Amino acid sequence: MSVVDIDQLEFSYDRKSKPVIQKLCLNIEQGEIVGIVGSSGNGKSTLLRLIAGLEVPSAGVIRINDKTVNDKSTFIQPEHRGVGMVSQDYALFPHMNVASNIAFGLHRMPRKKRQERVQELMELIQLKGYEDRYPHELSGGQQQRVALARTMAPRPSVVLMDEPFSSLDAELKQSIRSELRDIVKAEGMTCLFVTHDQADVEDMSDRYIRLGQ
Amino acid sequence: MSFRQIKAYIKRNLNGWWIVSILGAAVILLPILFVFLSIFETPSEHWAHIKEYLVKDYVIETLTLTFITAITTTLLGVSLAWFVTVFDFPGRKILRWALVLPLAVPPYIGAYTYSTMFSYTGVVQVTLRNWGFHPSQDWISLTSMRGAVVVFTLFLYPYVYLVTRSFLERQSASYIENARLLGRNGMSIFFWVAMPICRPAIVGGLSLVVFEVLSDYGVTQYFGLQTVTTAIFKTWFGMYDVNSAMRLAAWLMVILAGFFLIERVLRRHRKYSASTSKSKPLQPIKLGSVKGTAVLLFGMVVLAAAFAVPILQLIVWATWTYQDVWNDQFMFFIGRTLYTAAVSTVIIMLLSLIVGSATRSRSWGSALLSRTVIAGYSIPGAIIAIGVLGVFLSLDQVYGEVYRLLGGKGTPVVLSLTAAMLIFGYVIRFMATGYNAVEVGFEKTGTRYSEASRLLGRSRLYTFWRVDLPLIKGAVLSGCILTFVEICKELPLALLLRPFDFETLSTRTYQYANNEQIHEAAIPSLLIIGISFISVYVLHYLDKRWET
Ligand SMILES: Nc1ncnc2c1ncn2[C@@H]1O[C@H](COP(=O)(O)OP(=O)(O)OP(=O)(O)O)[C@@H](O)[C@H]1O
Ligand SMILES: [Mg+2]
Repeated sequence: MSVVDIDQLEFSYDRKSKPVIQKLCLNIEQGEIVGIVGSSGNGKSTLLRLIAGLEVPSAGVIRINDKTVNDKSTFIQPEHRGVGMVSQDYALFPHMNVASNIAFGLHRMPRKKRQERVQELMELIQLKGYEDRYPHELSGGQQQRVALARTMAPRPSVVLMDEPFSSLDAELKQSIRSELRDIVKAEGMTCLFVTHDQADVEDMSDRYIRLGQ
Repeated sequence: MSFRQIKAYIKRNLNGWWIVSILGAAVILLPILFVFLSIFETPSEHWAHIKEYLVKDYVIETLTLTFITAITTTLLGVSLAWFVTVFDFPGRKILRWALVLPLAVPPYIGAYTYSTMFSYTGVVQVTLRNWGFHPSQDWISLTSMRGAVVVFTLFLYPYVYLVTRSFLERQSASYIENARLLGRNGMSIFFWVAMPICRPAIVGGLSLVVFEVLSDYGVTQYFGLQTVTTAIFKTWFGMYDVNSAMRLAAWLMVILAGFFLIERVLRRHRKYSASTSKSKPLQPIKLGSVKGTAVLLFGMVVLAAAFAVPILQLIVWATWTYQDVWNDQFMFFIGRTLYTAAVSTVIIMLLSLIVGSATRSRSWGSALLSRTVIAGYSIPGAIIAIGVLGVFLSLDQVYGEVYRLLGGKGTPVVLSLTAAMLIFGYVIRFMATGYNAVEVGFEKTGTRYSEASRLLGRSRLYTFWRVDLPLIKGAVLSGCILTFVEICKELPLALLLRPFDFETLSTRTYQYANNEQIHEAAIPSLLIIGISFISVYVLHYLDKRWET
């Protein structure tokens, strides 16, 4: 079953300039981990934003879990797509501490379960004891891990990650990468991530796509 | 753009936020449209008379006043901005900041204060007589055109000063330094380098001055000038002729549009500001003790005339009349002013937040919407008032019919006799003050936090309460304060739209001043100045935070 199905997608930021994405087709199967590589500025982040529903394509169709979320006449709002995303700049809520940030998407869980889930993730990202810190009190790499946890917490069926490991050192990267892979596989999530690092692709993904020329 | 694209666009964006925003914009636009449409109605019999004998004089007087004031405020504002940025002298830092203070004094208060001070029994002439001078009345008294120009210049120059100063501080360094290296001296740099490159900034500040002068009622009325705005009031209060008042309002709009065009032409070459990002601050020249003292003295004289002296005079008068004025009824007026301003501010901020959220994603629809809701800020209070009056009078008619149709007995509530009309006017006029603050807040935060929240499955409403609002609460608060203060100061709208027997601090001040109870007007005036102070302070504080 294909989880993400993109057909003839087209997008440009303004009508005058040349499209950032042109006639893109992409098919991702359930449980796959797919890496996206490509040179800077050729539309990797834009592609993720289109799938998430943060940008509106000028043409083409996007289907997620066999449901059309985007075509000429349909546009499903981001919160109803079941897609999680870690953005390049993390976007951790500055007015909430780490625990609240991670719990933010867990509104459908009962309180007890919610706390357990947060603890589980704190362990995964190796930040136990940092629950009460605020984002500005964390290092870049720590922030990135919290952003990762926040996105994984509600178990979205599709996870989009924009350079999720860019601020991590080699050692941490490796351990998080393999754990992340295990979790994604165990939960049956589908994952699409952008990276510049060939090692990420080799270690984590089942296959990769090169965007652009 | 094809029809299908438009349909898809509408479908995508059609949600509660947009619907409320569009309704809000429509309601805001309604009175303005009313004024325009009045031109196509059959004019009343007064109109022929007004048009034949009066309009030309009104227009000429309005233009004369505006042009002279524009020149004098430019001279004063630009020269002060020049002194505090280009030169260094003792007291410069304080002067730089203090020269903004006259903004806290509404010109209509300045008008009656000064004209009384310079009258035969005022402190100036009395003192001169005590010293043995007997100047002629024509020469010394502040009346009509001369009085209005002096008062407007003193209390409105800060607009020009502020904009020019920040332009000089931020963008002029390299031009001025190069001119210096080319051997030019102070005066010649001022006229040949600074003035031309500052032109867009000067025009920007000046357009605020022109707008204030065109919309003024308090000053011009007090000095007996016949401007279009005073004429609007006269046709309404004197003849209850809304139609003619609306036609005059339309004339005023034409004049305003003319000035707007001039502004556009003068600001056409704004490319100078392209080098903003790289600009470095201007290094001021240290002045010798004689020159430095002279400059400081000049600034102090302006500050005294535009701030210290009138306020001292008001304080003295306040002590004379304190017992008569400060009573329960006065407390009641204060309460009512604050209450009305608070209700209007809350409505403005709510609508601002809704429209601000709806228009965060850039598109032609959101651009149009955000321009529309702030339209009232570039339209004089008198015009808005007349439009609102027109709308409410029509509403009353419709409502009356419906009321009788439904079998209602007696007389229905007359909407145009309630404070709702005044609040409606305030909302239209000051929507921009709140909205701009909200917009700045949203712009500074960006969309990434809301996007993250939506992607975590949270609705737009939840995102708004838990993410957007906490992040922009500073901006919302400053928007609230600025809007509240503007409303407390406002005069023309309040005069035209208040219900019978309804007084605000500003209308109370105006009533006292016009009943020749100048001294009694001092206490409400001081209160208004005190409230205005808050907004000057907030602006200063924001400016400082912005710089760091
Ligand atoms: N908001 C925007 N408005 C206009 N153009 C944009 C906007 N965001 C991105 N672009 C342009 O679209 C193109 C693709 O940008 P995108 O961010 O998708 O690249 P990327 O592949 O993620 O690059 P990087 O690897 O550096 O993150 C770039 O040329 C960029 O300049
Ligand atoms: Mg990117």
